Amino acid sequence: MLSSLQNPRQAAAQLLNFALILSTAFMMWKGLSVIADSPSPIVVVLSGSMEPAFQRGDLLFLWNRNLLAETSVGEVVVYNVRGKDIPIVHRVVRKFGEGDAARLLTKGDNNAADDTELYARGQDYLARRDIIGSVVGYVPFVGYVTIMLSEHPWLKTVMLGIMGLLVVLQRE
Amino acid sequence: MYNSLTRIQNVFGFFTSVAFVVAAIIAASDLIAPRTPSGMIEPTSVQVVKGRPHYYSTKKEEYAIIKFSLEADLSSLFTWNTKQVFVYVTAEWPSLGADGAVTQNNSAVIWDNIITSPSADHLSNMPPVALRRLIESTAGRVIDPGRGKFQLFNHKPKYQITHPSGHIAESSDVKLRLHYNVQPWVGALTWDQQGVDLGLWKRLSDGVSEAFALPPVKRKDDAKTSSSKAKTKTKSKAT
Amino acid sequence: MAEQLLDQVRDVVDGQIDFEGQKLAEILATALLSIAGAISFLVGYSLQDIALALKIGLGGTALTFLLVVPPWPFFNRNPVQWLPVGGGPAVTSTQQNLVIDEKLLARQ
Repeated sequence: MLSSLQNPRQAAAQLLNFALILSTAFMMWKGLSVIADSPSPIVVVLSGSMEPAFQRGDLLFLWNRNLLAETSVGEVVVYNVRGKDIPIVHRVVRKFGEGDAARLLTKGDNNAADDTELYARGQDYLARRDIIGSVVGYVPFVGYVTIMLSEHPWLKTVMLGIMGLLVVLQRE
Repeated sequence: MYNSLTRIQNVFGFFTSVAFVVAAIIAASDLIAPRTPSGMIEPTSVQVVKGRPHYYSTKKEEYAIIKFSLEADLSSLFTWNTKQVFVYVTAEWPSLGADGAVTQNNSAVIWDNIITSPSADHLSNMPPVALRRLIESTAGRVIDPGRGKFQLFNHKPKYQITHPSGHIAESSDVKLRLHYNVQPWVGALTWDQQGVDLGLWKRLSDGVSEAFALPPVKRKDDAKTSSSKAKTKTKSKAT
Repeated sequence: MAEQLLDQVRDVVDGQIDFEGQKLAEILATALLSIAGAISFLVGYSLQDIALALKIGLGGTALTFLLVVPPWPFFNRNPVQWLPVGGGPAVTSTQQNLVIDEKLLARQ
């Protein structure tokens, strides 16, 4: 690890390699974002309000284009409440009107009441533009790592500790 | 592969590739499982009341209570990759302008139910006794042929329907429609195909009621009793 | 003393294996994981049991880790035969002879 510092060419190659990995990941994320027309095409479920369909930590793939049909009742959508930046995954249960003028009401499968109380003050319905995507694909559990790391910050310390230990214990 | 760390990295890396491929094949296996859902739905009694549809409603508005009968066979939707099927009944009706032309279409869920697959029974959100009974009912089988077959007679709706305008009485051309949403363990979410067959997945046969009209608003003294009745939670035994 | 202890720990953590062992480990990891994946799908599909498929997949993976990661003796059966370290003062000239001339090499 330290040996690369003595060789600037090797250090530069490692730096470039690292930058390549980061930029590839970023390009794939943004590319998916453009294809799905959604600012966040993959989301991790953070709440249990859609159980048993979605558990905490499940990965959802979103699609935000209305190519064949409009977003309609029964679809599971991710929306942002106006003025707050917390994406919520719930099911559309009512829809009045079409297109940009459509008024949508959502509800979590596991909640007794609909989302009227979650919406911004004075907002009774969602508009299509509040929605950042409909759920089309599902992979269970894979996103749980992010929940673990954000809820148990000491795990980050443990991981750093293990990495440090490996550096000490590794030859060369 | 020369030391333990690189071996862990390589094995884990290849494990993720294998897991991804197997998951993709599992998701694709849905396509070769035939789906032949069917359902019959009809309204049995319709009421329109003026009042507060929910305890948290701030204003009085007209709301409709549509009781219905439903007979459905969705058992073919349950395969090894099915986690749950979300069954829901919508009411659809057009809003008419002053000249009688359709200004917008409306749809609202009046009843829904989650039918878990035996592999997901332990996750379902119900009282412990009912949950134990549900798990025991499958007797360890992974596929339960009775799952998704159910009948409801003159069933109370879970949700009363409203309209943002506050008026819903005497709406005409209302239809009830049965829908489902199949939630897989891994892969794509699928809904009832709107009248098209996709390969082995047949469209939902029937599943729509005849068009009917909502009655005028009930008088106030009637309204009191019926709205309190509607508030009592309906626990459906539809598994 | 401490340095010696650290060296021993390093040996255990490092778990180096020889070249033949590396080849074997690579083949083992690829084959075992692929087979586990195939079996998990086939068994799961034929019995229509996705939980069983998950268990087989994870079990197979755990087995692979157990078999491939530790430096088991069968990964170290072909240690590299290094040339002995030359000790004499005239090493540089004779060593070149050693490399080129096979007879001189045999003498060692």
